[in-house]
Amino acid sequence: MDDPVQAPFLSVTRRRFLAVAGSAAALLAAGAEVLFADGRLVIPNSEGFLVVDMKKCQGCNTCMMACALAHSGKASYNLARIQIQQDPWANWPDDVFMGTCRQCEDAPCVEACPVEPVKANKPNPDFGNVRMIDPKLCIGCQSCLAACPFTPHRPQWNADTGTSQKCDLCADTPFLGERGGPGGMQTCVRVCPVQAIAFTATMPDQGSETSYYVNLRGPAWRRLGMTTK
Amino acid sequence: MAMHGYAGKILHLDLSARKANEVPTEKYRRWGGGHGLGSALFWDFCKDKTIKDGRNPANVVCVCTSPLNGTIAPSAGGRCDVVGVGVGQHPQSWYTRSGFGGRFSTMLKYAGWDAIVVTGKAAKPTWVEVANDRVIFHDAASLWGKDTWSAQQAIWEATGHPRGTSAQQAWREVSKELSDTPSTQPPAVLCIGPAGENQTAHGCLVHDAGNGAGQGGFGAVWGSKNLKAISVIGTGAISVADAQALLKARFALKEKYVTSWERPDFGQWSHLGGLPNPLTMTPPPTDQRRPQACQSCINGCRTRASVGYGNESTCQETAWYISAASRVAKSPAQLGEVNMKAADVVQRYGFNSFVFQTGLHWLELLHEEHVIGPGARVPSSLPWEKFGTLEFAEKLIEALATRQDIGRDLADGWVQAAEKWGRTADLSNGNMAFSYWGMPDHGYDPRAELDWGYGSILDSRDINEHCFNIIFTNVNAAFAFGKPMRLEAGELVALIARKLTPYVKDRPDVLDFGDANMYSEDVAQLVRWHRHYTRFYKQSALYCDLKWPDFYNTNAPGMEGATASDDAGEQVFWNAVTGDTMTFDEGMEIGRRIWNLDNAIWTLQGRHRDMVHFAPYIYQTPFTKGELYPFYMWPCRNAKGEWEYTDVMGRTLDRRKFDEWKTIYYRLEGWDTRTGWPTRKTLSGMDMNAVADELAAAGRLGADA
Repeated sequence: MDDPVQAPFLSVTRRRFLAVAGSAAALLAAGAEVLFADGRLVIPNSEGFLVVDMKKCQGCNTCMMACALAHSGKASYNLARIQIQQDPWANWPDDVFMGTCRQCEDAPCVEACPVEPVKANKPNPDFGNVRMIDPKLCIGCQSCLAACPFTPHRPQWNADTGTSQKCDLCADTPFLGERGGPGGMQTCVRVCPVQAIAFTATMPDQGSETSYYVNLRGPAWRRLGMTTK
Repeated sequence: MAMHGYAGKILHLDLSARKANEVPTEKYRRWGGGHGLGSALFWDFCKDKTIKDGRNPANVVCVCTSPLNGTIAPSAGGRCDVVGVGVGQHPQSWYTRSGFGGRFSTMLKYAGWDAIVVTGKAAKPTWVEVANDRVIFHDAASLWGKDTWSAQQAIWEATGHPRGTSAQQAWREVSKELSDTPSTQPPAVLCIGPAGENQTAHGCLVHDAGNGAGQGGFGAVWGSKNLKAISVIGTGAISVADAQALLKARFALKEKYVTSWERPDFGQWSHLGGLPNPLTMTPPPTDQRRPQACQSCINGCRTRASVGYGNESTCQETAWYISAASRVAKSPAQLGEVNMKAADVVQRYGFNSFVFQTGLHWLELLHEEHVIGPGARVPSSLPWEKFGTLEFAEKLIEALATRQDIGRDLADGWVQAAEKWGRTADLSNGNMAFSYWGMPDHGYDPRAELDWGYGSILDSRDINEHCFNIIFTNVNAAFAFGKPMRLEAGELVALIARKLTPYVKDRPDVLDFGDANMYSEDVAQLVRWHRHYTRFYKQSALYCDLKWPDFYNTNAPGMEGATASDDAGEQVFWNAVTGDTMTFDEGMEIGRRIWNLDNAIWTLQGRHRDMVHFAPYIYQTPFTKGELYPFYMWPCRNAKGEWEYTDVMGRTLDRRKFDEWKTIYYRLEGWDTRTGWPTRKTLSGMDMNAVADELAAAGRLGADA
């Protein structure tokens, strides 16, 4: 069997793993992390996810700047936990890429966090188990950055604080003025001028690389002369 | 003074010495940013303000950001203003400006710089790499001759940034030579193409695929300085005084003033309240596309499509060839393809297509009259028989960008070429519709739309400011296409007048462009408001011209627009970013100060009120042919004193009356009515005594009334 932590897309899903893990499921349902004897860490599912429509994004980067503002009070690309990339000479739809944290079911970035006895990067039960990095606990080793299997890696380095950071669905947003996290508001979703980012409580297929890429284009989009397919 | 919103320092590139210097921004804080910052820098750095051609080595060109750049201030995060003495105007080139969008200004801020001041002249072709606070001068020999897209792509490669997205764009060091904090972003490059390298008046600055600082001829200025490109990448952040207030205002703008996606009002009337729709003059060639926007834009005006042409081009560059191509194209699809590919041609050459707004008609006329062509008085071997084809467009742009064929004479100015070709009569009969300062009419003709015309001749070029022009857009489209008239004339002017603080709040008559009111104090007040508003809010705070001001808005309660509002007005975003407590009126006052500084520069350059006149045809030939419609509807009072939409086409301006109107205008500004020059009383009232002193030393200080 593939190592469930190292493989980006699990050949044995966590759900199936739990089915054979017996009572561990009850612990997970209560929001606890479970460390098995063989070293595998199983964590409760996040109760929220961001999905994006890369065919729709207008590349204004408002989401990036708003993300940085809500979290840090500063405007910045580097501090944004969502990374939008563009190539102005590429053709649609390959001209834009939206890099959002997937709040992975078996998050390699959580697994990789070496901080003990309490991980700096872990699900936060107060905010629907969204995977969050506690900057007070983070030792700045950047293991989470290296562990993320996606490009660009979604956890990122905050040069100001010397710690890692990642999307928390706006759970820790001292400059937002409203409650974030699952059940609350996500700044990027609300600020996006074209509604190319959405929040969902349903976990996208963890075995698919494209399951977070969705179609958010409705009738108005069609009226504007752009495809909804 | 708090410096929230500012990077805190200005980059001075001394090309002659091949040296980068750092200048604190704080000294220039009172000028806001953008154009105001640029004018103040020009004033300090330009040692000879009498120069009349931007290619003079003494010229100084400034590329300036605003505190709002790099933030979510709606449609203000990615604009940039360029200032300096221009190229190719007539009878001389003035200190002028041009703006462009995209992400250059955002990157410059994140790199830690509020502006770039370029002085001197490099000994050889040069490009400059800015990576955060480090600056490298590079030899541009391998870039010289490349078009703007190829040059930018070469710089991406040279700085270690591959093309493409996703897997190609990991977090990587910002420069091959400068190890630094990594970024997922490519550098933002501002560069010139062949039109600039050859120092033609058509040269512009281009960034990414379709952001251009077109008017003014700044490409020629860079070319004269041997400056091919400036590449910027930054990984820093901008301090915002009240991030929560900024987010709140942005949400309010989107949710109150922009029509909803769920129940969109496609016929809404406002400046900023629509959904993203490309402003291209032929329909996009495919539905396989997206909107594309500058940083922080509330609704993008450009598009990128699957077909591989016309990406990011918008507005005028998608109009320059349309009338020619429409005579040859066999189908709407073919017209669209030729038109958008012609847009790509000007983008790549770094060519300001605006000159063709009326200039292409003139060239065609000269060819039809056998003035231009093989063996003609103006010899030309261009394939005129293929006029309207893409091949002709490519040959024409190549010739004009490289000083070949008719480009030899046109490169230094079109009115200058008309003089050389013995065609100055065309400026009297209107065959050559170059209305102000040797530049083409925008289509919003001075004989009809007075704010645009009067503003342009008082300024330094076609102002290209659509503040009141939204009236033309909304009203004339309604007449032309039978769309609902969402606001009757009286309602419309009343809503606008509510926003015209501090000078003419609730004075709707300032908008009456009817024959009886066109030389009035009313109109002078409107033009005054317009000059001050745009100088600060549009060109210094850098709110996008196509989105602001928002006077009326049918999406909002009471149909009041966002401009000057307490929840999403221009000053709300400014204050949230900077921590200022500026009122809307105080922003207008900064605009007045900048406008006065600009006039001081023009005065030193040699301007006198007697020069401030339109081309002769504006006074001699009635305006009878509109660019878009056979009428020009505008709100005017009728004989009964009631407001109604009235056709203001068909008239000329009266030269004597316009001259008298200028006296009214100068008096309102506190300028010398005999000369049009700033006075000490007016300047000292704005703490600009040093400016008055320099004018006095030059013998060009206006006399106090």
